[in-house]
Amino acid sequence: MKSALHNMNPAAKFIVVTICMLTMAFFFNPWTPLLMWIGVLLIQLLFSRIDWKVWILFMIPFVIMAFGYFWTTLVFAEDKSGPVVLSIWSINITEVQMNHALSLSFRVLAFSGLSLLFALTTNPVSFILSLMQQMKLSPKIAYSILVGYQFLPVLKDEFVQIQQAHRLRGAIQEKNAIHRLLHMRKILLPMLAGAVRKAERAAFAMEARGFTGEKRTSFYKVIRVGRLDGYLVGLFMLLLIISCTSVLYIN
Amino acid sequence: MLKSWKLKEVVLMSLFSVVFGIVYLLFLHVGNIWAGFIGPVAYEWIFGIWFIVSIICMYIIRKPGAAVISETIAAAIEVLLGNAVGPRLILAGIIQGLGAEAAFAATRYRRFDIWVLMLAGVGASVFSFIYGYFLGGFTVFSTGYVLLMLGIRIASGAVIAGIGGKAVVDGLLATGSLRGYPITRAKKGEARA
Repeated sequence: MKSALHNMNPAAKFIVVTICMLTMAFFFNPWTPLLMWIGVLLIQLLFSRIDWKVWILFMIPFVIMAFGYFWTTLVFAEDKSGPVVLSIWSINITEVQMNHALSLSFRVLAFSGLSLLFALTTNPVSFILSLMQQMKLSPKIAYSILVGYQFLPVLKDEFVQIQQAHRLRGAIQEKNAIHRLLHMRKILLPMLAGAVRKAERAAFAMEARGFTGEKRTSFYKVIRVGRLDGYLVGLFMLLLIISCTSVLYIN
Repeated sequence: MLKSWKLKEVVLMSLFSVVFGIVYLLFLHVGNIWAGFIGPVAYEWIFGIWFIVSIICMYIIRKPGAAVISETIAAAIEVLLGNAVGPRLILAGIIQGLGAEAAFAATRYRRFDIWVLMLAGVGASVFSFIYGYFLGGFTVFSTGYVLLMLGIRIASGAVIAGIGGKAVVDGLLATGSLRGYPITRAKKGEARA
């Protein structure tokens, strides 16, 4: 039960999460995204073993961003009709404005809730394998993405090395933000040049071992679609319907 | 479409996506905090950075699809790195890539000068803005504010992605590591560009 979301087929999860997000975009009342966010939290509480500390850490920037959306919508609103519900410093805020502002900030929260549900319960490698096996992603692209993913720690090390090499040779640390941005080119170029060489070597190695990139029917690691996926997709759809129809029974 | 692609070109796009995936994530976090204080307009002026990989890859590889595939791979890698924007980034990546691709397709993949690269940045800006308009619910903002956002984004796409992308590739070309890719052959005048 607690591992249901972790065992769910990644491609199915991806599609369901995307459908939920796209549907949210049609609603401008506060209740739909709020219910969605709460529902996603409940599903995660019941069916996953995620680390809630990490979850909170990831959520903080989005709460700040939601606040940004909130006040921007209040100040730069298009539709200023409806009765005034609040006034701050002689600025009148109408009911429509308030609803739109709350809706957009809850939408940011609902989006990040859905995204975190996906990010924290999905194994990256199985996600790509699942895209290839269930959604007909070309093996040429799928395995290239996995190669890139495996190179990530190497590139991170390289980034640190280049910085240290610069410092060793006495390159000046820029204080000005714009200079620092231009300075990034000096680190980016060696990294990209290294990436070009690594890509060539990796591609040679793959071809030398007989990788042709053709579509295949059998895989070493098989990702399946099962009954569990059906139940979970059903659960998400139920949540989506409840939150979308909330306007009808609240108010 | 993928038949004409060499494996090393696809792997190259993937590795570039990893490098820029890290850069993108960095900017995303900076942007998020910014956005909290000055609202969604905060993202606009750095938005060009998100289109850069499609322009760089197209400028180097020069094959139909290079812009959209590379931007999609970059988005997929960003998702793999584990970030909180999540799966909708892949959709955003496809749309941004299509915007850049449209500019190159309009010149039938024959011209790769600075103007076309800047146009690709503008194309990516416009496409991504339409997507953002829909998903971010910009309809509730006043028209002036939306136009301001669009204007800043287009400028950012043209300058950061177009001019910046060209600067990065030209620097890379000077290191000589791009031998064996269409850009080097085109510079020598051997191949059709």
